[in-house]
Amino acid sequence: MRAARRTVGWSAANVLVLLWTLFPVWWILALSFKSPAEIGTDGGRLWPRHWTLGNYAGIFRTSEFLHALLNSIGIALIATAIAVSLATMAAYAITRLRFPGKRWFIGLSLLVAMFPQISLVSPLFDIERGIGIFNTWVGLIVPYMTFSLPLGIYILSAFFREMPWELEKAAQMDGATPFQAFIRVIAPLAMPAIVTTAILVFIFCWNDFLFAISLTSTQRARTVPAAIAFFTGSSQFQQPIGSIAAAAVVITIPVVLFVLLFQRRIISGLTAGAVKG
Amino acid sequence: MVALGFAGWLVTSCGAQSAGGGPVTLNLYALPDPGGAFQQVVDDCTVHAGGRYRIRYHKLPTSADGQRRQLVFRLAAHDASMDILGTDITWTAEFAEAGWLEPWPRDLAAQVARGTLASAMETGTWRGRLYAVPFVTNVQLLWYRSDLVPEPPRTWDEMIAMAERLAREGKPHYIEIQGAQYEGATVWFNTLVHSAGGAILTSDAREPALGPPARRALETMKRLATSPAADPSLSNQMENETRLSMEAGRAAFELNWPFVWPSMQQDRPTVDGVALWKVFRWAPYPAMDPNRPAHVTTGGLNLAVSRYTRHAALAFDAARCMRNHHSQHIAAVRGGYSPTLEDFYLHPDSVFAAKFPFYREVYAQLQAATNRPKTPAYQSMSIVISHAVSPPAAIDPRATLEQLRTGIRDALASRGLVP
Amino acid sequence: MLAVTAYPIGYAVYLSLRRSDLRFPNAAHFIGFANYTTVLSSPYWWHALGVTLLITVVSVGLELGLGMALALVMHRTIWGRGAVRTAILIPYALVTVVAAFSWAYAWTPGIGYLAALLPGGRAPLTQTWPAIGLIILAEVWKTTPFMALLLLAGLVLVPESLLSAAGIDGASAWQRFRRVTLPLMTPAIVVALLFRSLDAFRIFDNIYIMTGGSHGTGSVSILGYDNLFTALNLGVGSAISVLVFVVAALIAFVFIRFLGAAAPGSTGERDA
Repeated sequence: MRAARRTVGWSAANVLVLLWTLFPVWWILALSFKSPAEIGTDGGRLWPRHWTLGNYAGIFRTSEFLHALLNSIGIALIATAIAVSLATMAAYAITRLRFPGKRWFIGLSLLVAMFPQISLVSPLFDIERGIGIFNTWVGLIVPYMTFSLPLGIYILSAFFREMPWELEKAAQMDGATPFQAFIRVIAPLAMPAIVTTAILVFIFCWNDFLFAISLTSTQRARTVPAAIAFFTGSSQFQQPIGSIAAAAVVITIPVVLFVLLFQRRIISGLTAGAVKG
Repeated sequence: MVALGFAGWLVTSCGAQSAGGGPVTLNLYALPDPGGAFQQVVDDCTVHAGGRYRIRYHKLPTSADGQRRQLVFRLAAHDASMDILGTDITWTAEFAEAGWLEPWPRDLAAQVARGTLASAMETGTWRGRLYAVPFVTNVQLLWYRSDLVPEPPRTWDEMIAMAERLAREGKPHYIEIQGAQYEGATVWFNTLVHSAGGAILTSDAREPALGPPARRALETMKRLATSPAADPSLSNQMENETRLSMEAGRAAFELNWPFVWPSMQQDRPTVDGVALWKVFRWAPYPAMDPNRPAHVTTGGLNLAVSRYTRHAALAFDAARCMRNHHSQHIAAVRGGYSPTLEDFYLHPDSVFAAKFPFYREVYAQLQAATNRPKTPAYQSMSIVISHAVSPPAAIDPRATLEQLRTGIRDALASRGLVP
Repeated sequence: MLAVTAYPIGYAVYLSLRRSDLRFPNAAHFIGFANYTTVLSSPYWWHALGVTLLITVVSVGLELGLGMALALVMHRTIWGRGAVRTAILIPYALVTVVAAFSWAYAWTPGIGYLAALLPGGRAPLTQTWPAIGLIILAEVWKTTPFMALLLLAGLVLVPESLLSAAGIDGASAWQRFRRVTLPLMTPAIVVALLFRSLDAFRIFDNIYIMTGGSHGTGSVSILGYDNLFTALNLGVGSAISVLVFVVAALIAFVFIRFLGAAAPGSTGERDA
């Protein structure tokens, strides 16, 4: 009897959590399937009266959204690739080497990742205009590095502390150079940690809005979050709610996929090093 | 995936360059025109150029603020790939003063002025030189429901009284106007101040003028906001929200630009058995005083040539083409934009008259229209104004007036922060 | 890494000491601390700082409570643990702008399901306090999962044996939580609070989309952005940027120095 009550109680809790987390996502999904005529006249129904793909067809018809999508994918992938490779080397060095102020360095790197982006926007805007990388991919990749690199170093060094480094020594005793030892033995073991870090860094870059609206001015480098905010409506005075919702859903798909596929990894990455006894 | 990304990069960066050989490409950056009128204007002018140049139309963001930001970003970087700029009529002073616009040669300026509305020419002029030619103009009208209001009100007092009477009778009664904290609130305030016989700035644009007319404007805004005539969402209403409120049957009056007319005719809403589109009427904007017509704030778009263009002469030529009679006819009929050439109103052709049944009222209002203050500090000043007068219900005429005075003074001296 | 961060910050300090207007680049010159005087004597700065701190304190406080509940559910629930953990990551991973649009439309009269529940066409996003409340709600929704995961990591470290021993001694569930679980989790809680406070303090996206910072809802980041890109005042904008940076550094300092947040990564070799 008591067990049954507990099951019901926990089930209710589960359902509550699911509703709370998924409801806003459902709402934007529902919005994206409503026709422009329905939006604004249906009193905010959560279930579209007439389902339509018109908003999706609309955003893919113009180059604006496609460009932004390409920019988003390209910039996030490149920034992630660079950040993760550099962070892997840095974290390896940090874990393997003893140098004064090492802990301080790791702590500082995390704090840098948590710093307000606005503090970097004004200098970067001026610097980038000066050297001509304003409104280019590079112009966005650079600031993403300043945030994702410390994040990567932090997460990876937490993982690397756990690595069985004895194996590396064993390999070296078998005659492998340190580099070979790293590639053959350590790298495969570190792969899960690197993938995790890559996902988190990717999500960070994918998510960014402030840099994207401050350091771009055309569809040449503008990413989706910024492009959505600049979508143009069917009149000069109108926000295109349906198109915004559809674009929002499209850029949500990759993160949902990540979450579904790598749930465990993301959780371990997010909490890596955050808790120490 | 990375390769795909890189490919996209290459494609986009190549796209930004003009193709070698063939006619010169002139890049036009202007507000997004969803109806395709601008595109047709551009295409026709490209044909008209007979191979000397072709014009490419790049759309800027929807909000005027977003458009300005994009242009400024690139002008400040001396971007040579922008040739013709679609500039909001309130930017002329700022852009000209910053040296971003090529002044129009005097002979061309004189040609352009011929037949163009004086109020429109005024918006493109700064310190005696023409920096931007008027393309399209705009002016608000009073829109009302003839089933509720047989005779349209002539003054604000009459209008609020009518709305209050309708409220007592339990009928739709809202007065819809743009009360949100943005440029629309500044437009509203500017119209009321001028209609009350005053101005926001002194004639040399160095000091706030304000005074009793501004006080009356604030009192009127406050009175509307605190009467049953106000839509509860007043402080959220922009042009589109006010349009939707009218189409949803909640309003008796609406102060808005003429784009509401085609929209009403297309949507054809019927609410509580009333076919709204059949009872939707227009009238001149209500006055502040019975014996003095309203001086309504103009809107509109000008065309300017960037200081950093490599093809100034061609750009002037293209800009002139884009605002000639043929182009303005397309903009009016296909896009619903009010022309800046007087001829349209004096000798309307049948297509234009059918599309603009209210052209007489628009013309009358344009002749008595007022512009927003001309100063390079307009943006900061407008932010100060919209923050002071919105939400309108929170206006305290005396304190708000003082806040406006100091805020505008700071903005003119480019002192202080913008909120 | 320090170069890419330190150089821009240094450059921001340099810009902040100059009169620098994007429209008049040739008129730029050194003016000492005048921009700071301008910012610090402006009521807008103090209002924005107040709003930002309010949002930070309230949202982080709520997140702590909700996050703890969520962590307990994830830790203890009998079935569906995987589903709950997956669902909880959605708000975390969702692009903030997307979530902000979802909330903004939900509260827009005539469009949204939440606004429809309010009496008489109220537009809560246009009134200062309701709007700030809704911004906090959006922020809490988005970041509670992150908080919950950090707390969960601390929760799993609490030895089951201690809890059952306390249970045998007759401690109620609440007492066990307060006397055993909470003290053991304190380090995890302080670190989570540090992360989230710094993150909440830089709030931008939610406000930009939901209210645009109008009606007195702007944060310091919004204020900095507007002064940079609407007023085109690089000098004042940079001064705001630097001040925001200083306040964030102060927050981090207070946490590490007085609340004993282990400067992350600094202690222990064991991982959760």
